[in-house]
Amino acid sequence: MALTQQEFAFVSGLVRREAAIVLETGKEYLVEARLLPLARRTGTPSVSEFVARAQRERALADQIVDALTTNETSWLRDREPFSAFTDIVLPGLMEQRTPMQKLRVWSAACSSGQEPYGLAMLLEETLKSSRQYEILATDISAEMLERAKNGRYSQLEVNRGLPVPMLVKYFQRAGTEWQVNDALRRNITFQKVNLAAPLPPVQPFDVVFLRNVLIYFDLETKRSVLRRIRSLMRPDGWLFLGAAETTIGIDDGFERVVAGRASAYRPRAATTAPVGAMRKG
Amino acid sequence: MTSPTTDDLQAITEQVWLSYLDPEGINPFLPSEEAPGMPCVIAAVSVTGAWEGHVVMSFSEPASKLAASALMGMEDEEVTRDDIADAVGELVNVIGGNVKSLLPDGSLLSLPHVATIDEGVNKWPAAVEVCHLRGSWQNEPIAISVWTSKSTG
Amino acid sequence: MVIDDSRAMRLILRRIVTQLGFEVHEAGNGREALDLLESMSEPPQVALIDWNMPEMNGLEFVSAVRSQERFRQITLMMVTTESEHGQIVRALAAGAHEYVIKPFTPDAITEKLALLGLVPSGTLS
Ligand SMILES: C[S@@+](CC[C@H](N)C(=O)[O-])C[C@H]1O[C@@H](n2cnc3c(N)ncnc32)[C@H](O)[C@@H]1O
Repeated sequence: MALTQQEFAFVSGLVRREAAIVLETGKEYLVEARLLPLARRTGTPSVSEFVARAQRERALADQIVDALTTNETSWLRDREPFSAFTDIVLPGLMEQRTPMQKLRVWSAACSSGQEPYGLAMLLEETLKSSRQYEILATDISAEMLERAKNGRYSQLEVNRGLPVPMLVKYFQRAGTEWQVNDALRRNITFQKVNLAAPLPPVQPFDVVFLRNVLIYFDLETKRSVLRRIRSLMRPDGWLFLGAAETTIGIDDGFERVVAGRASAYRPRAATTAPVGAMRKG
Repeated sequence: MTSPTTDDLQAITEQVWLSYLDPEGINPFLPSEEAPGMPCVIAAVSVTGAWEGHVVMSFSEPASKLAASALMGMEDEEVTRDDIADAVGELVNVIGGNVKSLLPDGSLLSLPHVATIDEGVNKWPAAVEVCHLRGSWQNEPIAISVWTSKSTG
Repeated sequence: MVIDDSRAMRLILRRIVTQLGFEVHEAGNGREALDLLESMSEPPQVALIDWNMPEMNGLEFVSAVRSQERFRQITLMMVTTESEHGQIVRALAAGAHEYVIKPFTPDAITEKLALLGLVPSGTLS
């Protein structure tokens, strides 16, 4: 049974308000496909009735927001930004910061946790306990954060872009799944954060990974998200976006720089001072 | 180390289907406790060493054919008997290897055996069933079971 | 090079790597694969290797290849249902570079080849 216009309007308004995600008309089929499993799980006979219930029950509305955000992720499959992180960004930061300063990294749309755990592995391998680091991992989806905190991954998930030396070093078998070691979890804090709303007050970050989430926002939201993130970055910090994303034409406060074979973005004032392996892009 | 359970078989089966037999998630394997009809094609791998037993998959004839054509990306009519034997053998190898990873370390996995029912019934008279998962796929019965021939303790 | 005793599995792997632009040679076990290597004028860039196979298994094949200087350049990637932590460690100790556990989705193979620098990561969806 197809969704009525009103039902679709409720759902698109909801995800727009809650997650700033834009669902144009024509995406009815997507909404139905994603909500059908929820309707079944809650024993509601149809998607329409599920939507009706969600208008009264907050918990179901949250489930709708979860179901309509795309959580697709993998470990380190895009090599370039992660090599730039280990080969250029970290060595630079180690020179610029005193050994006592903790490096602070933010995985700003962490989905089921592959990105923050992947970053923790790279930090372990690169810093070799020469200095401390902390990672803040945030997402809007409570379900994804729960999975991320658990740090348990199926066989299919560990096959996706996780270098096997990292698998054997940082994971243990747990039944049919793999469990992340405590060594990796210990420096990661998980927190529910909606990027499209005012951000919680936190210490500024040296590096921010904001990958594959801006694409879901409209221009105005992109701009405000970037501005808020910039305010939480150290002036010489680094921002990494997904391959299809950019700050150009959206937020002039960032400047694009070439870092190895990747593009990165830095608060504008920082790029006036020359930095070793970095060229303007 | 605990023995594999039906839940484990289900997790493994789901992944095998998503990877090879139903990548789009349109024709999932549907577990059901209904007694399957007479199976026709049986594929098995043995585990030896620290744990001894077998992982067995049984298919109706059409199910085995569907499995082969889905795995190899071929039309039903193109599938030969050899293709079926190869395909169901590989499926039980993949499932068996994943089951083995739940068992005590140091167990070995055999190469797959595939038989049609007339030769295949009760090949392991001394074995007891540890767990099973039965269900249907595109309305054809498939069952997976784990058997042990050595009491574990 | 794709080394697996199942024809169905060789076909699946062949399809994936052909799409990435590789030319594929197939072998049904480690022994056949070694013979094939001997006959090739230029060794392959990468071998995808099953573990449990008749005659010569994948682990023995990896050791045999690693012991020969002229095969240094070949990247060895296990693609197998053997999935205990200890088994993966054994394969790496024998000289395998990467490891994909069966079952796998096609993306898994592509992404591992990208990690190894064998396909540009622009190939990734
Ligand atoms: C496609 S995933 C990207 C995961 C990871 N960064 C990567 O690149 O692989 C997008 C994630 O953004 C999250 N997300 C969507 N809207 C958000 C918002 N307004 N605030 C915070 N997270 C959001 C989703 O829950 C989802 O986990």
